[in-house]
Amino acid sequence: MTELLEAADESEALEFLHANDCTDGLPVVIPTAERVARLVLATGLDADLDLGEMGPGGGAATIEKVATNAVMAGCLPDYMPVVVAAVRALLQPSFDLGEMQATTHSTSPLMIVNGPVTRHCDISGSFGALGPGHRANASIGRAVRLCMMNIGNARPGVSDMALLGHPGKFSFCLAEDEAMSPWESLARSMGADPDESTVTILGAEAPHSVVFTNDADDADSPHRLLRALAAVIANTGSNNANFSGGAVAVALNPEHAQVLADTGLSRGDVCVELQRLAVNTRGAIRSVSTGFIPAGEADDVIPAVRAPSDIVLFVAGGSGLYSAVFPSWAAGAHRNSVVTETVVTGEACELPWAVPGTGPSD
Amino acid sequence: MRDGIEVARRGTAAVALVTETFWLQGDAVAASAGMPDIPRLRLPHPVAGSGQEAMARVAAELASRIVAVLRGDAAPDNESVPA
Repeated sequence: MTELLEAADESEALEFLHANDCTDGLPVVIPTAERVARLVLATGLDADLDLGEMGPGGGAATIEKVATNAVMAGCLPDYMPVVVAAVRALLQPSFDLGEMQATTHSTSPLMIVNGPVTRHCDISGSFGALGPGHRANASIGRAVRLCMMNIGNARPGVSDMALLGHPGKFSFCLAEDEAMSPWESLARSMGADPDESTVTILGAEAPHSVVFTNDADDADSPHRLLRALAAVIANTGSNNANFSGGAVAVALNPEHAQVLADTGLSRGDVCVELQRLAVNTRGAIRSVSTGFIPAGEADDVIPAVRAPSDIVLFVAGGSGLYSAVFPSWAAGAHRNSVVTETVVTGEACELPWAVPGTGPSD
Repeated sequence: MRDGIEVARRGTAAVALVTETFWLQGDAVAASAGMPDIPRLRLPHPVAGSGQEAMARVAAELASRIVAVLRGDAAPDNESVPA
């Protein structure tokens, strides 16, 4: 079991946690033994179950430690299956978490949640889903981030060497807006069952806005949208363009998704088109950076994304002018690959009154 | 929304046109401007970019209602929101 610390009151406990680099700089909920026990119970798993070694520090991601960080982040018990699934995803070897945590690049795991759990937990995929005001989004994402800091020992300037970082290093979690999508869900497109909930993660930069206004009288309008998205994916300053590979996430707002669906394009068709269009010439890349793309014929076509399956296309955000592209680190042994984990909700056992001090009469 | 409020403040009959996606924002703006009851009519979303034919259809459906609301002969779509 984890060592129990003592403090005179919650204020002193908070200052202790801040002083010992256990927070993200914002106040946290104090992880008392009772609060942690309640979230452990909500996972339906043993407290000492070890989900794996979390890099770069190599800490053991036990359920108890994950729950401790989830308490600090402000999670409700019902959020725990999502947090556990996200941590399992982080720990997949193909995610290269230790390397990603240590890179100088501005990257953080973008968590996209699909399925019934998004409605159960009220995880937003609509207006401002990556901004403030959505409790589930904020606290689930924050719990994962605190795990990365406290279990993975990612400390800014010491073991997390991101030169600038980005706001998603506080929290970076949203749902796909399946109700507003003209297509099958992202999870279904990756093989999930209709009643299955999933978390898909990708180490990603902050969202890069893509502005587009439709003209329904112009048959070329949907193609302009595709070109606009591809241009941002292939931004010659991005790692994807310079490393010619890695994954990219694209969040289409419902209006933009409908424009593409109305032309008969499926989700997969859009990914094929974006991969085809998101290219630069060797000369264009080397005109801004010679460090990664070797010299050669200036007219050679260099793709920013190697395969359509490397594009994580999902529907999110309010309807309007703006969609978003999330470039990735595109490095590490697996090129910062995309990982999906099932959210196991059947194991949950939320009986708050079973934990002393948390019942309705306490 | 702000245009309608500014027109109304000048003492001229006004009706604000708000698309359904931004309807709640219309309520919020009306309340924050101290004019929670300013008349509003609900439009489908999106209007911009939906094409000449679609926009003409929306205009044809709305024009007579706009005039009627301005004249006080018809009720707008909004219900009063707290100021």
